[in-house]
Amino acid sequence: MFRDAIGWTILILLLIESTLPTTYSADKQDEVVFNRDIRPIFSNHCYACHGPDQQQRQAGFRLDIKLVAYSDRGGYRPIVPNDPANSELYSRITSTDQDEVMPPEDFGKKLSREQVELIRRWIKQGADWKEHWSFLSPQRHPLPELQHKYLVRNTIDHFVLTRLEAESIEPSPEAMKTTLLRRVTFDLTGLPPTMEQMDAFLADNSENAYEKLVDHLLSSPHYGEHLARHWLDLARYSDTHGMHTDSERSMWPFRDWLTRAFNKNMPFDQFTIEQLAGDLLPTPSLDQLVATGFNRCNPSTDEDGSIAEEMRVRYAVDRVETIGSVWMGLSLNCSVCHDHKFDPLQQREFYQLFAYYANTAEKAINGNALTPPPSVKVPSLRQVKQQHQLREQISDIEQTIREQIAAVDYEEPYESDSVKNFESRAFIWIDDSLPTGTNPDGNEGANSWHWVAAENGPVCGGKKSHTRTATGLSQHYFTGAKPGLKIAAGDKLFAFVMLDPDNPPQEIMLNFKDEDWEHRAYWGRNHIDWGQDKSPSRLPMGPLPPTGEWVRLEVDAQAVGLKPGTEINGWAFTQFDGTVYWDKAGLVTASTPASHLESLLAWEEFQIAVKESSLPQSIQDILKIGRAKRNDEQQKQVQDYFVEHVYTNTRTKFDALHKQLDAALHASSELDNSIPSTMIIQEKKTDLRDTYLLTRGEYNKPEKKQKLQPSVPASLPPLPPEAPANRLGLSRWLVSRDHPLTARVTMNRFWQNYFGVGIVKTSEEFGSQGDWPTHPELLDWLAVEFMESGWDVKHMQKLIVTSGTYRQSSRVSPQLYRRDPENRLLARGPRFRLDAEMIRDQTLTVSGLLVKTIGGKAVRPYQPAGMWQAVSLTGSNTDTYIQDHGDKLYRRSMYIFWKRTLSPPTMANFDAPSRNSCSPRRERTNTPLQALILLNDIQHVESARHLAQRMMTEGGHTPEDQITFAFRLSTTRRPHDVETKLLLEDYVTHLAKFQRDKESARRLVSVGESCRDENLDISELAAWTMVANLILNLDETVTKS
Amino acid sequence: MSFFEEHRTLQTRRHFFGRTANGIGAAALASIMNPRLLATPSITSTADRQGVLDATHFAPRAKRVIYLFMAGAPSQIDLFDHKPSLSTCFDKDLPDSVRMGQRLTTMTSGQKRFPIVPSIFKFKQYGESGTWISDLLPHTAGVVDDLAIIKTVHTEAINHDPALTYIQTGSQKPGRPSLGAWLSYGLGDINENLPSFVVLTASWTGAEMAEALYERLWGTGFLPSRHAGVALRSQGDPVLCLSNPPGITSQTRRRMLDTLAKINQRQFEAVGDPEIHTRIAQYELAFRMQSSVPELTDISSEPQQILDLYGPEVTKPGTFSASCLMARRLVERDVRFVQIFHRGWDQHGSLPRDLRNQCRDVDQGSAALVKDLKQRGMLDDTLVIWGGEFGRTVYCQGKLTNTDYGRDHHPLCFTVWIAGGKIKPGLVYGETDDFSYNIVKSPVHIHDLNATFLHCLGIAHERLTYRFQGRDHRLTDVHGHVVQDILL
Repeated sequence: MFRDAIGWTILILLLIESTLPTTYSADKQDEVVFNRDIRPIFSNHCYACHGPDQQQRQAGFRLDIKLVAYSDRGGYRPIVPNDPANSELYSRITSTDQDEVMPPEDFGKKLSREQVELIRRWIKQGADWKEHWSFLSPQRHPLPELQHKYLVRNTIDHFVLTRLEAESIEPSPEAMKTTLLRRVTFDLTGLPPTMEQMDAFLADNSENAYEKLVDHLLSSPHYGEHLARHWLDLARYSDTHGMHTDSERSMWPFRDWLTRAFNKNMPFDQFTIEQLAGDLLPTPSLDQLVATGFNRCNPSTDEDGSIAEEMRVRYAVDRVETIGSVWMGLSLNCSVCHDHKFDPLQQREFYQLFAYYANTAEKAINGNALTPPPSVKVPSLRQVKQQHQLREQISDIEQTIREQIAAVDYEEPYESDSVKNFESRAFIWIDDSLPTGTNPDGNEGANSWHWVAAENGPVCGGKKSHTRTATGLSQHYFTGAKPGLKIAAGDKLFAFVMLDPDNPPQEIMLNFKDEDWEHRAYWGRNHIDWGQDKSPSRLPMGPLPPTGEWVRLEVDAQAVGLKPGTEINGWAFTQFDGTVYWDKAGLVTASTPASHLESLLAWEEFQIAVKESSLPQSIQDILKIGRAKRNDEQQKQVQDYFVEHVYTNTRTKFDALHKQLDAALHASSELDNSIPSTMIIQEKKTDLRDTYLLTRGEYNKPEKKQKLQPSVPASLPPLPPEAPANRLGLSRWLVSRDHPLTARVTMNRFWQNYFGVGIVKTSEEFGSQGDWPTHPELLDWLAVEFMESGWDVKHMQKLIVTSGTYRQSSRVSPQLYRRDPENRLLARGPRFRLDAEMIRDQTLTVSGLLVKTIGGKAVRPYQPAGMWQAVSLTGSNTDTYIQDHGDKLYRRSMYIFWKRTLSPPTMANFDAPSRNSCSPRRERTNTPLQALILLNDIQHVESARHLAQRMMTEGGHTPEDQITFAFRLSTTRRPHDVETKLLLEDYVTHLAKFQRDKESARRLVSVGESCRDENLDISELAAWTMVANLILNLDETVTKS
Repeated sequence: MSFFEEHRTLQTRRHFFGRTANGIGAAALASIMNPRLLATPSITSTADRQGVLDATHFAPRAKRVIYLFMAGAPSQIDLFDHKPSLSTCFDKDLPDSVRMGQRLTTMTSGQKRFPIVPSIFKFKQYGESGTWISDLLPHTAGVVDDLAIIKTVHTEAINHDPALTYIQTGSQKPGRPSLGAWLSYGLGDINENLPSFVVLTASWTGAEMAEALYERLWGTGFLPSRHAGVALRSQGDPVLCLSNPPGITSQTRRRMLDTLAKINQRQFEAVGDPEIHTRIAQYELAFRMQSSVPELTDISSEPQQILDLYGPEVTKPGTFSASCLMARRLVERDVRFVQIFHRGWDQHGSLPRDLRNQCRDVDQGSAALVKDLKQRGMLDDTLVIWGGEFGRTVYCQGKLTNTDYGRDHHPLCFTVWIAGGKIKPGLVYGETDDFSYNIVKSPVHIHDLNATFLHCLGIAHERLTYRFQGRDHRLTDVHGHVVQDILL
């Protein structure tokens, strides 16, 4: 029977009144342990001047290396084992002479009497010295003898019980089945159990019911989501860039990758390698490239005036620090400016790690574009299929066109000299300056025309081009040209354009003014909503031209409503996002005689005469050669072009084919545009940068005398043999069997997820300033087991949640609470407030509103108006919060759009980190702002009314049953009679009020955008809504117990 | 962390918006029996919400701070740092000997010339101190004898995002706690129905485009999140989700909270976790805030002469004047730190037009705040600070004409004024060269400025620390010297 499983019988706690110190210093009889008791004192009080930092070291003496600390220093030794009286160190810390005493008065960190005594005893006991524990490889320690052996469910318990026995504390009994169900369901999926899961588990009386439950939860797709959600804090994941404009970025395919990786139980070593260096694997898959988004999650800027090198250095430092925190629990950032003060990490070694990131391919000032390169397109399976179909269709049509051309037997109707003397018909109106009489204008007023000379950017013709970089809609234009540009029948307007490949716009537009501006043509996305789409006032011209080259745009004047005889006096160059260069613009008068559409000869002559040709470059080049000098192939190309695109007699045939082709190309480009991209990391191939130590961490002060190669700190194991000198080598090193930190740090963080506090409390810091582990042997065992299981993540989760330690009741007596308020000794089960995301997800689950779709782009649920405007850069694409509707209001919280400069308020108020930097550990506060959100936020009130609705429709027939239903859904347990009675009394009072005041009832049950069940009595629904609101606010509801 | 500190951390976890489990929990439970008690401010001792410091390091000069932050960087040359000798230098090149190859933003580093542009605005001397102030700040000029004007503040950052983050948190890189968060952490709360750190973001008129602000400017970095500045909003609920949902009266809410507390109390008896008592107390505080915050934001009781003092915009929610009056009402209620952010000061171009508008936004409110605090006897123990994140260049950015010019970012000197809190009134501190480019006397680094602010509140800046990632962090990093010369 589960309930009685082998024990954890209730035992009376020893009434020990002293609170448990978290440092767990040895008491008077015990052996002093150097790493636990002495090193923290040295580190905190001595290492600033006598530690690893060479610059700050005083008197040439260091106390972080045994050899130095014990050696003779000219007649005296700092530490003489067994002999405190002759140990200089001891004399100095006990000296009463102001000039002698250590630490010196002005250092401000005196030693306490207890600390001095500890040091004395340590020396007396032989001054045993060990390297810092976390830098030594973890070992499986022998299991000590136990009195409570019968309580052991797995090895974890063995270590926990050993410690409890040493402290004379009894463990707690196993938690109730309902409690356990709720605890483990939240811990493995981030969601509460459903009513069906509850009933099934309670009805399952088999021996292994709990194990079956755990297996079921581990195979739930929500398991991967939950573990991914924790990882997002480490990765500093965000949906915006985070600095200055803080505009949107597309990284969510990386988030989906995390979910998939956890769900398929990707071994943690592979998980590490793919994120840090997936791009460097031989022939990386798309998934492996997406994984490298981890490296790109750092905040990045587009601020005008920023110095690229300064930013590049800042990003690389951030990436190294993040690796330090996530995999090694080391604050590497201490070594950015100087040698580490506490741990054996030299500044030079920091920059050797930095060297791994010195040659990444992205631009430091990235325009805050959606996916600043490098990035990859991440199509769904459906999209891949569609893409394939369209490609086939396009190639079929092209094939048909080729066949049809071959089938045309063209005969030239004219003699060669009968078709001469065409004048140039192209008129360039705008080149290096504006037409006469014009007023320049645009987003920056009279200063809107930004001219670029050839030495500063691309120019197509003349001496200058004009350019614009925009976030959102932006333009420059002129009006008032005198004389204007007269339009004749058949005229075409043209302009040359070049799109910046690193920051392409989403849309470009040309606008022409006669009487008004209602003449527009656009390429690309339809973001600019002037005029009427698909009409002369907003004419779609197809996809954007290719980037990085000059392309001639051409607009049929009549198609944009410019009738023959009108005069253009204004012209605007408009874009949405991106950087665009413009050059030569004007008009081609194309009053081609009909004969020239019937004669290849005539057409050729015409084309040669027209200076601004709209023909493909290859055809123009051939035409320049001159008929006599062309070879057969070239002549065939010209003729084929003519037949396909110009020749009157074949128009019907080819126009129809072109229409088909255009439709297919358009569909293909639309599909391409709809495929999401995600940012990835890649290495530069050329112009490689050298790495130097940066003096005081300043980007412009490299120490040029010594070039640094990528490498790892000497105090940690060496790189594996044949590890490449790149991120791939670095990531393999992190997950090598010898690495003392990765497995420990990772297991400690997993442990923290379950118990609220890690075995090492400072889960972000495993250096000598970090906390001593409460159960060092347990942590080592977990680390070794993790590695030897093949870094099997699910295996380790299962071990923890099936341990007796985890399954204990969290009930606590005042005595035990006083002794161990944080439950570091694990004499009881965990009890603490749920994370921000879990609280909201639970509310949505119990109300039945949760939309469980997994993955995809971020959503924007309810948020009070004006929050983004209050802080955002005007014109940023995240300056105004545009709320979603429908299903997107009810997705899991991990999908809420994360704006880094103003994180979602319902998350931030419950201690979600800002994601500006890596956060291995969340605070858990308890504030009135949280109470206000749970009581009054639209999302929570709407959920309450849906829970009320469920109570009335699914909860049974009596009010008592309905209360029980809601109570069980929210806490997993049945309410006690007293609780039911209290809630029922509330219901009756609220009901009476709402029956008197139906308008208030109606207003309450209308909160939120979802519909209500119109069949239910409005006053009853309102009264139950208040009861549901209360239940959702219970301490027990928002707590994992 | 020693055992004692650890214990205290556990205790102080429950301060600001959270109190020791026993103190408040008991009070709240007692009040369950008599809900009426809850409607009135409770009488819990302030010790319950004290900060990490048992006592200030020395006697504080000020108890409260109002920081008027001009985001975007106001031009010191056009407002405070009068350079009459420049009048003959219009459109002359800035000598290389002045610029000394100093790094520039990439907005002007490509400029071929650095033409000097003297201020287009007139300066006059004001007050007994005879301090020079630009015509753009007539009201500020009127209180000049109450201000200490520091002309030699400097920083290293040359772009807004890093510079704002730097002056607010002591680091250019995001992730450190802000000044207000440090104060909340160190000193705790005085008022028990309001947060100890409140932030207001004011509307602006100077330029359509304004530089961004970031939550991290009032964030907590690695400090516990309860020390974050609470944004008091001018749109919707002043505090998020303060209002009950539609159809719910305060009475209905009261009944619901009473029952909630009873069931939570039963839960405490069953499981023994003191955190439950804290939660009960937080719900009670939330309920009290539902009346204390509207009372705070309702300015209908302010007499006309006070409204007149702050100027015509004071009744328009969200304006700088309205924010200044709100700041006074907040410090009156013993909110420790109020910071108003006013944006739009980034005049790269059209400076003469835009700067005038910006000054019109803030001048009267800033001066009124000083006068109002003074007449209430509160200026003595309230520090008022006015300043931005860096200064602006003496040379012109973009096109220079007789009536129009712009100025780029300038980190090497800028002006900040301080009033109250036993700072020397009527003082002008520090000297810049003839071009308001380099400092020639008494430089004040932004770390020095922050060290001085902490000092005014009784805190030794080296000794207010927080252990994170194994290191004892502080606001001033490893720098900062108190500017003793400006203290009375």
